[in-house]
Amino acid sequence: MTDGMTHEAASEALEALALDALDASERAEVLAHVAGCAECQRELAALERTSNELALAAAPLAMAPAQRDRIRARLLARAGAERAVAERAFAEQRAESSGPARPSEVVTLRAPRRGMGTSAWMAMAAGLVAIVGMGGYMSARRERDALRASLQAAQAERGVRLAAVDSLRATLEDKDRMIANLTGAQVAVMTMASQSPTSPTGRMFWDQAHNAWTLVAHRVPMPKSGRTYQLWLVTPTAKINAGTFMPKPDGEVMVRATMAMPTDSLAAVAVTDEPMGGSAQPTTAPMMVATAR
Amino acid sequence: MNPSPSSRPYLQSEVIPETPGATGLAGGNTEARDVVLVREMASGDDRALGTLYDRWHAVVHGVVARVLRQPDDIEDVVEETFWQAWRQASRFDPARGAVQTWLLTIARSRALDRARALRRRRESPIEGDDGEVVVEQAAASDPGLDAEATERRQIVTAALSQLPAEQRQALELGYYGGLSQSEIAERTGQPLGTVKTRMRLAMQKLRSQLQILHSEGGP
Repeated sequence: MTDGMTHEAASEALEALALDALDASERAEVLAHVAGCAECQRELAALERTSNELALAAAPLAMAPAQRDRIRARLLARAGAERAVAERAFAEQRAESSGPARPSEVVTLRAPRRGMGTSAWMAMAAGLVAIVGMGGYMSARRERDALRASLQAAQAERGVRLAAVDSLRATLEDKDRMIANLTGAQVAVMTMASQSPTSPTGRMFWDQAHNAWTLVAHRVPMPKSGRTYQLWLVTPTAKINAGTFMPKPDGEVMVRATMAMPTDSLAAVAVTDEPMGGSAQPTTAPMMVATAR
Repeated sequence: MNPSPSSRPYLQSEVIPETPGATGLAGGNTEARDVVLVREMASGDDRALGTLYDRWHAVVHGVVARVLRQPDDIEDVVEETFWQAWRQASRFDPARGAVQTWLLTIARSRALDRARALRRRRESPIEGDDGEVVVEQAAASDPGLDAEATERRQIVTAALSQLPAEQRQALELGYYGGLSQSEIAERTGQPLGTVKTRMRLAMQKLRSQLQILHSEGGP
């Protein structure tokens, strides 16, 4: 040996080693000796058992119920999560496998060894049945739990996809409606005129079949702070509020409103600059206006 | 700073008048149930982990609280103890000791790791030195420990109680304090050789006294 520690010196340090009470350098020396000394290995194993038993001297200590339950819940959550990952990996592995059966489902029966009595063979067989039975039960239970988790995940995924389909369908229907509102046989188109310095342009599409109004405008300046634009449907007797709107930063406007109106009643469409929230009646001159014919 | 380490024993040291005989330790159903639980854990049954936790959390808590003082550290280490048991369940060998001993060995090891890390960061002195927490905790000990576990514990505490005080102190500082022999010598003001001798003698006596826990396969 070249470890520099005699057997006697090492054996005298085994108790402290078993208690993990040696300094690092001495510990390394003793371990180097133990690695090549069967007698010290046996002695150390026995002393470690003694050392381990010392923990039994600590008095049990009840935890506060909340703390106890908190730790338990975290442990089970961690274990459950780990199991789910393992089962998913197993399921994926199984899906990739081309074999008709999992190895665990194949039980190879072997003849008993020569010289074994019938009772011993029966006992072994019973043990095998018990082991296979327990293994089968655990396997089946894990598979059931995995399938249940997969079903729940699939249902959740299906729900998300259905919601996405519904959303897309609603968007599509809305676009269809808008196209109909702009291009339908009973759509009246009015060109908006403006005196504004930015020369905004716009058109009002009135789908008389669906009482739908769509204002499309360009280069509409952003109103001043605290102000907004308000759309008015003007009849010979009233100026009807059709809602307020703000242009996009690039000056583009698309406003949609639904309002029934007799075909002959509309005199004009106007847009005014109003205080935020809108006004009951226009308070400024129209910044855009179209006259019905 | 830290009061004298002799101000409070780390290990339980009540005197048990009579050590139960070997016949009282054989055929433990509790241990058999524990072994089954660990087997089930190894097969991925998290309910078995819950059951093992329900059975042993107070005992594990007792060990961890002997080493550490801060509630957050204690809670973390208790959790990590059972988590390590879950991860290493397949490696558990009943021939090498009882489930309880296995769990407590993990608990003590994890607790000392945490205590040493805290010491390195100088955030905490050696835990459990003032005895206050331990006294409170002892009063709250779990009376629900089953007979088998109680018996094992009584054997160990009886063996410890029979050690001379200075030997027990050396053992305690090493076992629950996580101190090396030279650190114990520095701390107690005793020559290093004296500390080594005391620790060695203490372990030899305990080994002899605790044979009963092994010879019959444990309680």
